[in-house]
Amino acid sequence: MDFDALYRSQCAGCHSRDGRLAAARPLNDPTYLAFVDPTALRRVISEGVPGTSMPAFSQKRGGLLTDAQIDVLVDRLTEATPGVRIALKLPPYSAPLGDATRGAMVYQTFCSKCHGAEGRGGPNGQSIVDPAYLSLVSDQALRTAVVAGRIDLGMPDWRGYVPGRVMSPQEVSDVVAWLASQRPRQPRPSTP
Amino acid sequence: MLRQLQQIAQWFDDRLHLTKLFASTAGHRVPKSSGSWFYVFGSGTMLCLMLQLVTGTCLAFVYVPSADEAYTTLEYLTYEQPLGWYLRALHYWGSNFMLGIMSLHMAQVFLFGAYKYPRELTWITGVLLLFVTLGLAFTGQVMRFDQDAYWGLGIGTAIMGRVPVIGAQLVNLMLAGPIIAGETLSRFFTLHVFILPGTILALIGVHLRLVLTKGINEYPKPGVPVRRETYVEEYETLVEKEGVAFVPGAISKDLYFSAFVMLAIATCAAVFGPKGPEGVPDPTYIQTAPQPDFLFLWVYSVAALLPPYTETVVLLVGPAVGVLALLALPFISNTGEKSARRRPVAVLTVLVAFLGLGLLTWAGLTSPWSPHMQAWTSDPTPVAFVKGRSPLELQGALVLQNKQCRNCHALDGVGGHRGPDLSTVATRLTRDQLVRQVIQGGGNMPAYGKNLSPAEVDALVAFMMTLHPANELPARDATLSVRRSP
Ligand code: HEC
Ligand code: HEC
Ligand code: HEC
Repeated sequence: MDFDALYRSQCAGCHSRDGRLAAARPLNDPTYLAFVDPTALRRVISEGVPGTSMPAFSQKRGGLLTDAQIDVLVDRLTEATPGVRIALKLPPYSAPLGDATRGAMVYQTFCSKCHGAEGRGGPNGQSIVDPAYLSLVSDQALRTAVVAGRIDLGMPDWRGYVPGRVMSPQEVSDVVAWLASQRPRQPRPSTP
Repeated sequence: MLRQLQQIAQWFDDRLHLTKLFASTAGHRVPKSSGSWFYVFGSGTMLCLMLQLVTGTCLAFVYVPSADEAYTTLEYLTYEQPLGWYLRALHYWGSNFMLGIMSLHMAQVFLFGAYKYPRELTWITGVLLLFVTLGLAFTGQVMRFDQDAYWGLGIGTAIMGRVPVIGAQLVNLMLAGPIIAGETLSRFFTLHVFILPGTILALIGVHLRLVLTKGINEYPKPGVPVRRETYVEEYETLVEKEGVAFVPGAISKDLYFSAFVMLAIATCAAVFGPKGPEGVPDPTYIQTAPQPDFLFLWVYSVAALLPPYTETVVLLVGPAVGVLALLALPFISNTGEKSARRRPVAVLTVLVAFLGLGLLTWAGLTSPWSPHMQAWTSDPTPVAFVKGRSPLELQGALVLQNKQCRNCHALDGVGGHRGPDLSTVATRLTRDQLVRQVIQGGGNMPAYGKNLSPAEVDALVAFMMTLHPANELPARDATLSVRRSP
């Protein structure tokens, strides 16, 4: 089974074909690939991310891919040795939400110069607190965005927001909590 | 004993005139030459209709024509009721065979010149029977109320909606509302079970009456044209001289054929089973490549193959011309040669018609104009449409992928082509119109309604609002004429 063929027919629609610009994060970003946890990766591909536009691909969940095909995807995406992960001193892939109040301060330090004082958009970044936006992304997606950035969109990663100042794992969890706390409290729609 | 029985029979016959009835109907005299294998299709069609009435009545015992129960009752019939699946299969295959044999009947009548003087009205009622039967087949597929039915109906509505001025009202009349819903099903049920079968029985009454009064066409001989002045007389002498009673003289081949048809339907039903139901109608789930029933595939291809600017004209004028041509046929060629050997144009017409329908059906089965099923996962949102977009708009692009809009809509030329390319949609539609189009659908587009959360609609519309060339502003209400209703 050919990774490229699978990726092009199943993932490229949202995650981009050649890893340039895409609506969802391109999956060839080395920082992201070092960051992501293989178990989580397999779970996301098989089961999708409920409430978001990431569909479930496993046949058990009504998708089109067999377990063997999912293995091919996961194996290739996690080829980047765990060594990279340690060398980069990446924060852990997943962690519980931090403290939203502290997060607001973290936001001012690292993010406001681009996304504006309140997150509604600024000179170099647009609104990340739009209620509809926050309703459509998972907490993990926010965390991933903060740590791995979106190189394709011009969003730096956890080392690059303030020159010479790397975000600590706690700061990451806090700023994500701050963003998540602004999500409207409505029941998440269930996406099949 | 025998004598007594005979007397009793006599007594009844004196009162009921059964022998007379028989002599003037089943026992009426027909030209011997009409006891041919070519003449069996009429009775074959009739047999199918009988089968449909019986199986249909049985189905109606269980079927509930409401949006939430139709599908469940069909599943019950198919999987739980003993032999319920077979009943459904018989009804489905009976309908296919009925239309198939009917087309053969029609082709035969046409090729044998049987529509000519004095049997014009027989032909006209026949044409009406064809339309009613098509109507039954169409309303029948809606009874399944599954995805295929949904799409079949969607295409029907799309054609109706094109009628100028009263299009929207027509759609409303057909669907009992602007969109396909529970009310639609009740409406189609009434048509399928009361109105159309009633009409078909009445028409068959007239059709058969005409067969009796005007006689059945003799096997045409080349070089013996129909002349209005002499035909009736000639026919009468023919029947007198070498006529036979239809029963028992000419019916044997009909009976063989009927038996064969029954066997064929029973076999097809047993081997291939019933069609569907294939999934509850859900416009967001279109991976199964739903299509209208086989019989209507050619309409679907015509709709798909036509260049958009000709669609309205062709889809509205085409059927009207076709219907008129069929109805006018016996008056256009009222007399003259009957034999197919002397009527090359007629033979060619039949060949072209069958070939055309066949090719279009094939195109419908294979056409790239049916939704492009992989587009949503395989065709990336073009880079130019990602650049500079806000996080919300990016989510909108993702919803557009995930809800499989791309299977019908291209972005920058890439994607499905059932609906318009959305690359510049913001120059055509305002925000409100976009919301409306997504929620209510329209044209050949399904209504997404409850299948999108408010946040998804927000994101989707925010993204689509960015789809305009940099030098052109998005559409504003004041500058846009009122959009065609669904
Ligand atoms: C219809 C669009 C779509 C398709 C197709 C799609 N994805 Fe996704 N994917 C998304 C979205 C949206 C997210 C973000 C979900 C969230 O908010 O957590 C996502 C998230 C992910 C993530 C998790 C990112 C993280 O936060 O760590 C992985 C891994 C992933 N996708 C892999 C795949 C793979 C592999 C395929 C192909 C088999 C695929 N996706 C196909 C839309 C898509
Ligand atoms: C150098 C400027 C810059 C800084 C600093 C920055 N961002 Fe961004 N961010 C961007 C750009 C550019 C985008 C792309 C979308 C856009 O134009 O708004 C983006 C996108 C995002 C997204 C959406 C990603 C997606 O996939 O939908 C999130 C969430 C986000 N930023 C959060 C943050 C947080 C939290 C911080 C602080 C830790 C931060 N950003 C700091 C520039 C920046
Ligand atoms: C089954 C195919 C199909 C799917 C799936 C589909 N559409 Fe459509 N769409 C159409 C067709 C056909 C039309 C043209 C309708 C008409 O004739 O007015 C259309 C029209 C539109 C229009 C109006 C375009 C114009 O220029 O007038 C918009 C906007 C639109 N669709 C958005 C969407 C969105 C968003 C989705 C996904 C949520 C979607 N469509 C899914 C078939 C589809």
